Amino acid sequence: MSWRKITMKFPGKCIVCEEKIEKGDLGLWAKDVGVKHEKCADEVKELTCGVCGGPAGCKQCEFRESCNLEAVSQLCICKKCESKSDSYNLYQKHVTKKFHLLNI
Amino acid sequence: MMWSEKHRPQNISDMIGNEEARSALIEWFAKWKKGTKPILLVGPPGIGKTTIANLSAKQFGYDMISLNASDVRSKSRISDVLSPVLGNVSVLGSPMIFVDEVDGIHGRADFGGAEALIKILKEPTVPIVLAANSDTSTKMKSIKKATKTIYFRPLPPRLLRLYLENILKMEGEKLSPGTLIKIIDESRGDIRSIINSAQAQVGGFNPQTEKSFETLDVESGVNAFFKANSIDEARSVIYSMSIDPREKINAFYSSIITSSLSNDEMAKMLEIISEADMLYGKIFKTQEWRLLRYLDGILLRLYKKGTSVRYSQYNLSWPILNRIRWDGRNLKSLAQVMAKKFHISKSSFATFYLPFILLLIKNKKLEIEAEESFGEIIEKEIERL
Repeated sequence: MSWRKITMKFPGKCIVCEEKIEKGDLGLWAKDVGVKHEKCADEVKELTCGVCGGPAGCKQCEFRESCNLEAVSQLCICKKCESKSDSYNLYQKHVTKKFHLLNI
Repeated sequence: MMWSEKHRPQNISDMIGNEEARSALIEWFAKWKKGTKPILLVGPPGIGKTTIANLSAKQFGYDMISLNASDVRSKSRISDVLSPVLGNVSVLGSPMIFVDEVDGIHGRADFGGAEALIKILKEPTVPIVLAANSDTSTKMKSIKKATKTIYFRPLPPRLLRLYLENILKMEGEKLSPGTLIKIIDESRGDIRSIINSAQAQVGGFNPQTEKSFETLDVESGVNAFFKANSIDEARSVIYSMSIDPREKINAFYSSIITSSLSNDEMAKMLEIISEADMLYGKIFKTQEWRLLRYLDGILLRLYKKGTSVRYSQYNLSWPILNRIRWDGRNLKSLAQVMAKKFHISKSSFATFYLPFILLLIKNKKLEIEAEESFGEIIEKEIERL
C-alpha cells in the first residue's frame, strides 16, 4: 500500500485520529483505504479488543506483518483475553452487548 | 460435509467481525419503508456479504430473490426477473431483492442492464441489497449514487484465528500454531478459504510444498488428486482447488482423455465428467449456484488409487494437435489461392469444393499445378479420403 501526499479537493476524515481534514489541507491518501493527516502518518494505529475494550496489542501481535490495520475490521482481541477459556464466546458476548442491534 | 457449510452462521449475531457494518445493515432493515435508498455492501470476497444478506432476509421475514451480475446484464432480462416482483408486491408476500457481484456488470457484458438497474434503485418498492467486491469502477459510481454504501472489511488475522480455533474445538480437531498462522496468512481475510484450508489440513493431507492448495495451480491440483493415497486425501485436494468450476471440469476431462486408460475405465470416468458437466450446465442455466457444492462430490468419484492419469492441458494428443495446427495453416493458404481462382469465398472452397477436387485428383480426372507445400497437404488429404 502506498500513501500519496495530496492537497484535499474535498473535506475528509482522518482514518487515524478521526478528525476532519479540511479542503485545501495536505493529507496522505491511499487507494481503498482513505486519508490521514501528515502528523498522524507515524502513529501506529491500534485495534481495539472486543472483550476488554483496551488496545489489542498490535505492536506485539504475531500477525503484525500481514495485518493491514487501516483496512481490517476494527475490533480484534488482545492476547490476554484470547488466552481466557471460551474466548470466542466471550468475544461474541461482549460484542453483542456493545452493538445491541446485533441481538435481533 | 464441508465445514464451511456445517458452520455457516444461523443468525447475524453468529457472524464475527464487521460489527459496525452489520449493525448498520440491521438498522437499515429495521427502518426500511417504501422509497428507502437501497443498500450496497462492498468488501472483498469471502467475508460474509452474501451470508448477511441471506440471514437478514430470514430474520426480518423477507423472501429473498437472489440475482447475480449475469441476470442483470440486459434491460429485458432485468424486466423479466424483477417486474413481476416490483409490480405485485402484495401477491408475492414480502420479497427482497439481492443482487450479488453487481460490480461484474460493466464493459462488454452490459447490454443496458446497469441503467435499468439504476432506474429500479431510484424507486424501490421492496428492500434491495446489492453486493460488490469493489466500488471503484465508473459504472459503480452511478450505482453508488442511488444507494447507501456499507463497507465490509477483512477480519484481523488474530480474530480469524479465534474463529478458526472455535470451529476446530467444535470438530474436536487441532492444528499446530504454525499451520494456523500459515492458513490465515494465505487466506488474506477470506473466511471461507480459511475453513476449507483447515479442513484440508485436518483431513491429513500435508502438501509437499510450502504452498497450501489454495495457491496451487490447476496442474498441481489434478496431479495431487490422482496421486493421492486415500479418498480423504483426494477429497482434501479437490475441495481446496479454488479454481473456476468450468476450468476444473475441463482440466479433469483433458487429463483423462489423453491418458492411457483401458476403454472400460475411460468410459466410467467420462461418464462422471459428463455428470459434472451437466450439473454445471444446469447451474449456469438456472443460476442456482447453491448446487455448486455438489460438483466436487461428483468429481471425487474419479478417484481410484494408483490411476495413471496425469494433468494435460490439451484434450487431444500432441501429434494430433500439431497436425491440426500445421495442416490447418496450409489448408487455409491453399483455400486462399483456390478461392480466388473459383471466385468464391475461402470457406465455400474448403467446405464444398475441396472434397470434390481431392476426389477428382485421386481418380486422376484432374491435375493441378500447385506449390510444393500445397502438393504435400493435397497428398495428405487424399490419403484421408
